[in-house]
Amino acid sequence: MSAPPAPAAPAPAAPRTPPPATGSTAAAPLRRRRPLPARVGPYLLLVPALVPLAVGLGYPLVRQFVFSFQEYGLAQQFGRPAEWVGLDNYVTLLSDPYVWGVIARSIAFCLVNAALTMALGIALAVLMTKVGRAARITLQVGMLLAWGTPVLATMTVWQWLFDSQYGVVNWVLAGPLGMEGQRGHSWLIEPLSFYAVATVIVVWMSVPFVVFTVYAGLLQVPDECMEAAQLDGASSWQRLWRLALPMIKPVLFVVALLQVIWDLRVFTQIHVLQRAGAPTRETHLLGTYIYSLSKEFSMAGAMATIMLVITLALTVFYIRRMLREDEA
Amino acid sequence: MKRVRTSGLAALAVGMLALTACGGGEDAADSGGGGESGGELRLWLAGSDTPQELRDHLVETFEAEHPDATLVIEEQDWNGLVPRLQTALTSESQTPDLVEIGNTQSPTFTYAGAFSDISDMYEELGGDDLLQGFVDAGTVDDTLYAVPYYSGARAVFYNKEVFAAAGVEVPTTLAEFTEVAQTLQQANPTGAPSFSGFWLPGQDWYNGVAWLNSHGGELAVEEDGEWTGALSSPESQEGLAEVQELFTTATSAPRDADSNEPWIAFNNGEAAMFSAPTWARWSIDLPACNKGVAADDESEAAKALLAEQQACNEEKTGIFALPGLEEGSVAPVFAGGSNIGIPAKSGNQELARDLLRIIFSPEYQTMLAENGLIPGNTEYADALGDDVYAQAALAAAVDAELTPPAEKWADVEGARILEDLFQEIASGTDPATAAAEADQLITDTLN
Repeated sequence: MSAPPAPAAPAPAAPRTPPPATGSTAAAPLRRRRPLPARVGPYLLLVPALVPLAVGLGYPLVRQFVFSFQEYGLAQQFGRPAEWVGLDNYVTLLSDPYVWGVIARSIAFCLVNAALTMALGIALAVLMTKVGRAARITLQVGMLLAWGTPVLATMTVWQWLFDSQYGVVNWVLAGPLGMEGQRGHSWLIEPLSFYAVATVIVVWMSVPFVVFTVYAGLLQVPDECMEAAQLDGASSWQRLWRLALPMIKPVLFVVALLQVIWDLRVFTQIHVLQRAGAPTRETHLLGTYIYSLSKEFSMAGAMATIMLVITLALTVFYIRRMLREDEA
Repeated sequence: MKRVRTSGLAALAVGMLALTACGGGEDAADSGGGGESGGELRLWLAGSDTPQELRDHLVETFEAEHPDATLVIEEQDWNGLVPRLQTALTSESQTPDLVEIGNTQSPTFTYAGAFSDISDMYEELGGDDLLQGFVDAGTVDDTLYAVPYYSGARAVFYNKEVFAAAGVEVPTTLAEFTEVAQTLQQANPTGAPSFSGFWLPGQDWYNGVAWLNSHGGELAVEEDGEWTGALSSPESQEGLAEVQELFTTATSAPRDADSNEPWIAFNNGEAAMFSAPTWARWSIDLPACNKGVAADDESEAAKALLAEQQACNEEKTGIFALPGLEEGSVAPVFAGGSNIGIPAKSGNQELARDLLRIIFSPEYQTMLAENGLIPGNTEYADALGDDVYAQAALAAAVDAELTPPAEKWADVEGARILEDLFQEIASGTDPATAAAEADQLITDTLN
């Protein structure tokens, strides 16, 4: 008895809500009718979410800003008063060519990795829509495993693969493939090959997310459109480029935005690879460089603020675009 | 994974203990530091080097002297010790009452004001018999903040059979050591594809620095309160040139490896010699001696087999202190070890001082030595025994050197400047060029 009316109830509710939003006259009496607690209520519900956000995210951010204008190190932690130094920390950092090198490397690494991840991810997602059930499930399970393995466990495996003495990669190259020069080759010691290894790992670890998101997006493309395009003589390539991908553009934008942000602040992979024997100073990216400053909180704070600005600058294009699409 | 999980648990346990310790700390503060009040004293030991027997001794002795107080010993992992101390020592409610800290990490915390002044205890704790390098690392402006707990020195392990096959003898001077390593490298008696006469990985500055010290070189020097990198000095350069010669002619160790687990290559027959703290003897596991005992087998038979295996390994392995420039001298190798200090924020200053007295008592110092650790008070070092390992350890420890006692030395290690330097030298960069660059970085970091 009670089951049938249940689905019926939301149905009328849905059309009831839009009118207040479009018609301002309807909204006014509605608001007046509701007592104060009812109006405040929804906002109160936000408090449990906002408080941890403010404490967990806002507080460190404020401290980071404050630190960046102070001289604050270990001694200050033990009670020595912190001195205000104005923009000194920023000036020191930004007048150091090494810091600019780190920034340039980070941006290049981030863009290359984000682009590669997107390209591979989209390709695999399209592949998933084309292959049979068994192949698709195999792909999905593989992706989930790559996605689900803890970062440090993954890093240990990759580190072993590329180990110069006992690594599988060198063993395969030197043994079965007969490239004797690869025996004992140090992959991490040259910055370029270090970043190549890092790129393989970073991309490998973030491709599953792109694949699943884009695949979900592709499933939303109506079959009728595709069929119609096919009838009009569009090749499958054209259907993908001209129809499917443009239709899921909002999804692609969001994923690309996340990738750029993630790859700019990549830390664990680089840090672990550095510890595996790379020349530390030549391989710092923003994340590991800030960490290396961590005993000098003020410097680290200034550098983290600079990184925040870079992140915003890199993503401003996407964010503006997203906002515009939201309005439309 | 296991380590991650246990350290998580440890952190949780520490956190909970910290909560319960709040009460104890305040009690002591109320009593005005009288020292005789009850409460809980917390001692942080780093790593597992202090055997259980010694821990029990500390607890029993302390509680016998202070019937209404308890001693809690908490073990901290060496990994990530500095950030943990950075947060714990700054908080009155969370600070332990006595901490062990790495000798190279000690100056950073003493300069920051993390420890209490214990200058008045210097004579009582051992005076000039204390390991002086470690005392320096715990001293700022003639005020003593941390004292040596124990030290471990590096010695060279070698495979006797490989030595015999290559027809070489234990070297007696540093120059001869290079020759021996080169001869072994060329002879390659085991036939391994990448064989090392002397296992010297590219980032291993802990061992490499002995060559620098032997020639009178330094990592950094202080003048009028200003530190400067000293790797470019003629003495340091002489040492670094010899290190480069070893890298190019006497080792096949990877340039991207560090000083960790040097015995792996040795056990695999891929290295004739390696240098490590003397407790590396327990990690040697030659295939010829291995009895195939499962790691989790705790039966009596397994223990007997393991003892047999250990004896076999020690019979086939020799050990000697790295020789110095002159015949009969010993090279100043890098000393590993730790200091111990009383956190300034601890509310149990008097009790902590009492525990420090127990640690520097003849009984405890002797016990340290009996367990293979060179005690902070060298007067008791004789108890190390007289087997080859003890002899090598003692010979090496006499002149062992520490890193410069500069306030920000931990930052130099954090930035891995020396790892980078040695790696460059291993890669064939001119030592003068590499050293000049590293000197600049060290000077910038220390000031």
